[in-house]
Amino acid sequence: MTRRNPAQTAHHLEKFFSPKSVVVIGASATPGKPGNVVIRNLQANGFEGKIYLVNPRGGEIEGLKVHTSITDLPDNIDQAIITLPAAATMETIRDCAAKGIMSIVLAASGFAEVDPSGAQLQADLKKTIMETGVRVLGPNTTGHVSMPSNFTSSFFPLGRIPRGNVSYITQTGNFSGISLRHIMSAENFGVCRVAGLGNKIDVDEADLLDYLGQDPETKSIFLYLEGIKNPQRFMRVASKVTRKKPTFLLMGGVSNAGASAALAHTASLASDERIIDGALAQAGITRLFKYSHLFQVAKALACMPLPAGNRVSFLSPSGAFTVCMTDLCLSVGLEVPDIEDKTRARLQDISPSFIRMRNPVDIFGSVALHSFEFSYGEAMEAVLKDKNIDAVVAILMITDETGVPSYDFIIDLAKRYPAKPIYVTFMGQHNHNVAAKAYLERHDVPAFMLVEEPFEVLGILNRCRMAMKGE
Amino acid sequence: MKKIRAIIDTAIRRGQKTLSEYDSKKVLAAYGIPVTREVLAKTLVDVRAAAKKLKYPVVLKACSDDTIHKTEKGLLAVNLASDKAVVDAFRTLKKRAGQNYGGNFLVQEMVGGHRELMIGMIRDGQFGPSVMFGLGGIFTEILEDVVFRVAPLRKRDTLAMMRGIKGHKILSAFRGMPAVDLNLMSDSMIALGKIALDHPEIEQIDVNPLIIKGSRPVAVDALIVLDT
Repeated sequence: MTRRNPAQTAHHLEKFFSPKSVVVIGASATPGKPGNVVIRNLQANGFEGKIYLVNPRGGEIEGLKVHTSITDLPDNIDQAIITLPAAATMETIRDCAAKGIMSIVLAASGFAEVDPSGAQLQADLKKTIMETGVRVLGPNTTGHVSMPSNFTSSFFPLGRIPRGNVSYITQTGNFSGISLRHIMSAENFGVCRVAGLGNKIDVDEADLLDYLGQDPETKSIFLYLEGIKNPQRFMRVASKVTRKKPTFLLMGGVSNAGASAALAHTASLASDERIIDGALAQAGITRLFKYSHLFQVAKALACMPLPAGNRVSFLSPSGAFTVCMTDLCLSVGLEVPDIEDKTRARLQDISPSFIRMRNPVDIFGSVALHSFEFSYGEAMEAVLKDKNIDAVVAILMITDETGVPSYDFIIDLAKRYPAKPIYVTFMGQHNHNVAAKAYLERHDVPAFMLVEEPFEVLGILNRCRMAMKGE
Repeated sequence: MKKIRAIIDTAIRRGQKTLSEYDSKKVLAAYGIPVTREVLAKTLVDVRAAAKKLKYPVVLKACSDDTIHKTEKGLLAVNLASDKAVVDAFRTLKKRAGQNYGGNFLVQEMVGGHRELMIGMIRDGQFGPSVMFGLGGIFTEILEDVVFRVAPLRKRDTLAMMRGIKGHKILSAFRGMPAVDLNLMSDSMIALGKIALDHPEIEQIDVNPLIIKGSRPVAVDALIVLDT
């Protein structure tokens, strides 16, 4: 596809992410149908723009009037969400263009990802897009999300989506669907913009990365891709964006086995693993290798800064954790350095004399002597103050017998030391861990269920810090 | 650069798939990549004169545009320390090359050095010309310890590439050998990317081995594959 001018693309993307009006074409009164879920999602999120609906049967859906045809609509609606089958797409796009609706989300599947006749439909669609000049997100996408505008085109039931500063560009509908539900219910952070790319017939990852790079609401960017449509342009854009914003990419379908699965999924081709690795390094993008890191790393950056260095201190209730988590830190490029003398003296003050205090901090003796809140609180503050330390992880051990402490001292420390990330993880009784995690995360302290996770995340953030500096 | 253009154009006109080692190195040298001192010769008389001029020990190789994988075919004799050794090697290589062999012989300085690296270039379908760096010689295929970056390369890319292989310690000083001159290595990699960008007809480049002589890399063998 010929490139369009960047100012025009930005203008159209603005209409995707900050529409003042939207029309759902294929609106449905049947709960669970895409054409109905979209409307409910818009209403649940309090979209303040005008919502128009089109269905030949007319009437009323979810309290809104239904227009029987696109020609009945007012001119120049900012965006259309089309939830009709693939075959109906071409005519609908022409009708939209005639009404001045130039930004279109195409939910329909059944294009190139399916079979040769689908590929023919996709070729026709491409031609229609070029002839009419509309911009299209999709096809074969679950849609997108833009919380600064309380807006979503997703047809996956979402309810109220929490707003945050993390944005996603994904070659899967998951992040406007099930993965977003996971984030909302298990990870407790908010999102800013989310775009499911679908088959990328028009708007691609480079367009969106360019947009999000300049988006004042977006602080960090996470991509999941199974192929890069215009790699050289993508790299140029990424090189600019990654100077300012942490940018992460999980590349799916890079191994041979993955590549055939990718073909069936979103009709894309994989490129050679090593070249991708080199190209991403050049562009300053931090590569991810696990799907769950797409939300674990995002969570860490949603409410905490990027660590200023790779030096970690952690508090552990067990000797085995101090040993194993130190090993893990070293294997992912982190240091567990010596702490300052005054820090060590403070730690020794609060501990039984038979434990020699150092980094990592063996906190169990102190807790036995004093209390959970006092010991953890004093020790965390001591290492947070230490100039040799860039980030602090607290491994909590909570059981019925220890009793459940108030976690407010951790929230308070996070507020008082905003320059250094604090993460929490657990070993102990699962029900207490789940409750603690939910409470802490609702108060902007990221918590991780498994003890390795915060350290893996810190290792990735360290790679990111170096990538952004061009090292 | 005109000469380089002419080498490539002539090869394409003749329907060659590759440039000979000699011509490949001409291209590399024009872009500042250090290559072996070498003389192209046809007859035994010329070969002996060349060996004498280059000073023993020398290397003798069959050299034509369709002579690749010289080691496997036995078309290469190294460490020839005397006129007699050169004469014997010439006869052996000529026999192995066969009666129909119409190519030349390449007499080359013997580059002493224990460290063999490799640089190369391929044109990736998506990212375009991509430069490779890694362990060379027999370890290229055994360890596959290589990294890529997309051309054009900046110095910070080449430095990252050299840090990026598992065997990066090979570049440091060890066992009495000096550290490898990273600036020269870097320049050679940047040059390889530039060759690719300047000449779209070049499909692939292998510089293997790139032997470290003292601290300086020298391209000991090279192959340029054309897009035909």
